[in-house]
Amino acid sequence: MSTVAAVSLAACLAIGPAATSFAAPVVAEASPSASASADAKTLRIATAGFVDTFNPFISIYLTPTNIIRYVYESLVQNDAEDGSPTEGLAEKWEASPDGMTWTFTLHEGMKWSDDEPITSADVKYTYESMMNDPMLGTANGNLVANFESVETPDDLTVVINLKTPQAPNPGTEIPVLPEHIWSEVDDPTTFANDADVVGSGPYTLESYSANQSITLKANPNFWRGAPKIDGIQYIYYTNSDAQIQALRAGEVDLVTGLTDTQMTALEGEEGITTHAGTGRRFTSLSVNAGAETPEGVAYGTGSPALKEPAVREAIRLGIDQESLLKNVLGGYGAPATSFIPIAFEKWHLPDDDEAIVSFDPDAAMAKLDDAGWVAGADGIREKDGNRLSIRLLADAEDIVEMSASEYLVPWMADIGVELKLETTDSDTISDRTAVSDYDMYFSGWSVNPDPDYQLGINLCSSRPDAEGNGATSQDGYCNPEFDALYAEQHSELDEAKRAEIVHDMLRMHYEDVAQITLWYGQSLEAYRSDRFTGFTTQPADNGIIANQAGYWGYYTVEPVVDESSSAAEQSGPGAALWIGLGVLVVAAGVVTIVIVRRRKTAGDRE
Amino acid sequence: MTDTITPVNAEVHDEKLAEASPTRSSFLSYFGTKLGGALISLVMVVLLGFFAFRVLPGDPVRRIAQERPMSPEQIAELRRQYGLDKPVTQQFLDYLVNIFTGNLGESYVYRTPVSELIGQYLGPTLLLTGTSAIIAIALGLWLGQRAAWRNGSLFDKIATGTSLTLWSVPTFWLALILLMIFGGTLRWFPTGGMVSPGVEPGTFDYVVDVARHMVLPVVTMVAVVFAQYLMVMRASLLEEKSSDYLTTARAKGLRDDLVRRRHAVPNALLPTVTLVFMHIGGLVAGAVTVETVFSWPGLGKLTYEAISGPDMPLLQGTFVVFSTIIIVMNLIADLIYRQLDPRVRRA
Repeated sequence: MSTVAAVSLAACLAIGPAATSFAAPVVAEASPSASASADAKTLRIATAGFVDTFNPFISIYLTPTNIIRYVYESLVQNDAEDGSPTEGLAEKWEASPDGMTWTFTLHEGMKWSDDEPITSADVKYTYESMMNDPMLGTANGNLVANFESVETPDDLTVVINLKTPQAPNPGTEIPVLPEHIWSEVDDPTTFANDADVVGSGPYTLESYSANQSITLKANPNFWRGAPKIDGIQYIYYTNSDAQIQALRAGEVDLVTGLTDTQMTALEGEEGITTHAGTGRRFTSLSVNAGAETPEGVAYGTGSPALKEPAVREAIRLGIDQESLLKNVLGGYGAPATSFIPIAFEKWHLPDDDEAIVSFDPDAAMAKLDDAGWVAGADGIREKDGNRLSIRLLADAEDIVEMSASEYLVPWMADIGVELKLETTDSDTISDRTAVSDYDMYFSGWSVNPDPDYQLGINLCSSRPDAEGNGATSQDGYCNPEFDALYAEQHSELDEAKRAEIVHDMLRMHYEDVAQITLWYGQSLEAYRSDRFTGFTTQPADNGIIANQAGYWGYYTVEPVVDESSSAAEQSGPGAALWIGLGVLVVAAGVVTIVIVRRRKTAGDRE
Repeated sequence: MTDTITPVNAEVHDEKLAEASPTRSSFLSYFGTKLGGALISLVMVVLLGFFAFRVLPGDPVRRIAQERPMSPEQIAELRRQYGLDKPVTQQFLDYLVNIFTGNLGESYVYRTPVSELIGQYLGPTLLLTGTSAIIAIALGLWLGQRAAWRNGSLFDKIATGTSLTLWSVPTFWLALILLMIFGGTLRWFPTGGMVSPGVEPGTFDYVVDVARHMVLPVVTMVAVVFAQYLMVMRASLLEEKSSDYLTTARAKGLRDDLVRRRHAVPNALLPTVTLVFMHIGGLVAGAVTVETVFSWPGLGKLTYEAISGPDMPLLQGTFVVFSTIIIVMNLIADLIYRQLDPRVRRA
């Protein structure tokens, strides 16, 4: 190859990317406005979530389980208002007085998205599959663990016989699958279920392209009526900053899980509305008050000082929740009482409960004085030669934990407690806390509308063994009185009475200081309000749009009719700029050709 | 993981070659040594692939069960499904047997064979890194020879200065800045992904759409790496510049430009060949950052997700594949260099 050719190749390659990059948007420039109007009825959501599978029997990651909520209706749905049980496939239900038998009546005339009728046989098939095959119980097996048998006296009636009395409605949270599809599948445990899915919810899953997009389309047969938009598209963005840019550029319509800085950056952007919703999550400091196995054998490295209730109470009194909310969360949250978030007002322990204490360093010091902890030379308290020194595990990659720690350390020093910050990665924290190798660490859960599960993982019997295996425990808490109340609420069918017992339990848990609940963080979301409106939040009063315990968020959404002004503004740089750039590229090409030719003739001249 | 292999490698290879004897029979022994080295490296990678990820903290099942309403029976069932209930020695034997049959295990997260996943994600990575490599090589070599020929000129200063500045810029940062300016604010290019949803594969629109999605990641990768080609080409040509044969060529009355293109550049190109091959391996690995920022559905992003999972079989798989690519590319570089350089073959 002559050097002339080599050089011109190099030149073309150098200009090449510029040529494609400048030429391409001219084509695309025309399409955004065209596709924007054509796709105005498709809601595009940015996502980064894992998809293990869309098989409802085994799917456990957040993104697919959220989508499954939209695709398959359950017998009973969690209400948008406050998460309490409301109509799903069943229009009414009744528990026997002893709480051992629940009878559900389905709506008449419901159809799957392929027009087949929805009957009680579908419910029986789904529940029994989960009860009989442990593999099919991977995702929701715990929800049918108390089921003795399922009967279907007729096409519209489902009877669930339980092993023990149960107050929480057994028909919630289990996606009901179409028997006529699933019974034909060779192996339901490995069925991917990721294309042309037959469902009963507001949307059905049309297609899935791993790490690129997930497409849902509206189900015209949905018993509440078809959604007002044609469908939903989840588009993958690994990087959360890229999601923000995609929202600004109008490539997606909804972004969730923002940080407070991202939220602030988006405020005031034209056509975008930011939304801070009351979520179903709490953040806490888990306190190791002495871990024991269910058999009562102590294990772990927890500080003996934390076994003293006075020390735990003092630590709580020394923490300024309001200040953390303001400085760490940018104000996007609510002060917390206990582990049932304010989103579930019925069960939540009210802020004005007599047990709730507020920030009071003087009271904290008085408690420690009374307990015999005396300040030493450096201000840190001592008793019997032991320093009041507590380790706090924090995730070095978690900005919120790191920033909260910066406040906690001096606050504790103020009351004479040395807080030693140990920063590490989340895997190490998970491993160390599993074997109780900690004093305190940042923890938190997303809580379901019914409090039963969350209460249940605070029982003595929920504690794991010394290797961290076996049951799941929230904080390793154990109090036989709490256990007794749990059993009582679990079978109390009168909701008002049940709520009272739940409050008693939360108060007891608060007074025992098994954890220090720091805040209920808000869920930060932003959407293109110039394209869509009418999102239903859960709870209705300033709740969340995405990640609900229900399908309300995207069900009622509708396109904005008048988008004349914003659409024009959205379509990027003007045509003049593109024409100019096009001319430039052509000119560059001409110059290259001239140079190459000159060189060729130069060669001849020699 | 770094994006780059420093140009110093070229010099290392020079030394090796100086030792190597240029006869035919010694080529076989040279080939044998290099191939043997590569195979040993591969075996180490396979072993490391298992053990390195066993010592990492984090129990995948515990992590999945965290914050999920799961009964102990469900957790035990997951452990069984993942094969974690078996002793480590058994898991290791299974791993060895599987890897020799091309089975890299099943991903915990995606519930799909790892080899299948890697196959799916390899294409986009090769497209992205291949395009970037071609552009970076062409741009670097061309600028490098121009800069060297006019050593000390304004062109030289600007080209060298710019490339070195870009080289020292963190890839992640540059990618985000480009994304914000040309994606979010100006809206010239898409902010992520490889293709817009709904575009039919195989159509003209599809090609244009993929090309648009490629611009920002390719520009990022090229900007960060072309410096090393520039520097090697520049250094190599500077060395040639003082050679006698160039004086001879000039003495013949050849135009300066022609001396450069016909005589100096072809000779100076040779040391860069090794670098090119060694670098392709590094470039594939370096795709992790760029693919993550631009949500490019390639191996880099797959690795990133495997780390955040954590998804041990998938991590093992991508680790083995990445390492294999780098080892093979290095082997090719070693062999090609020896074959190509006329000064080595002169006997």
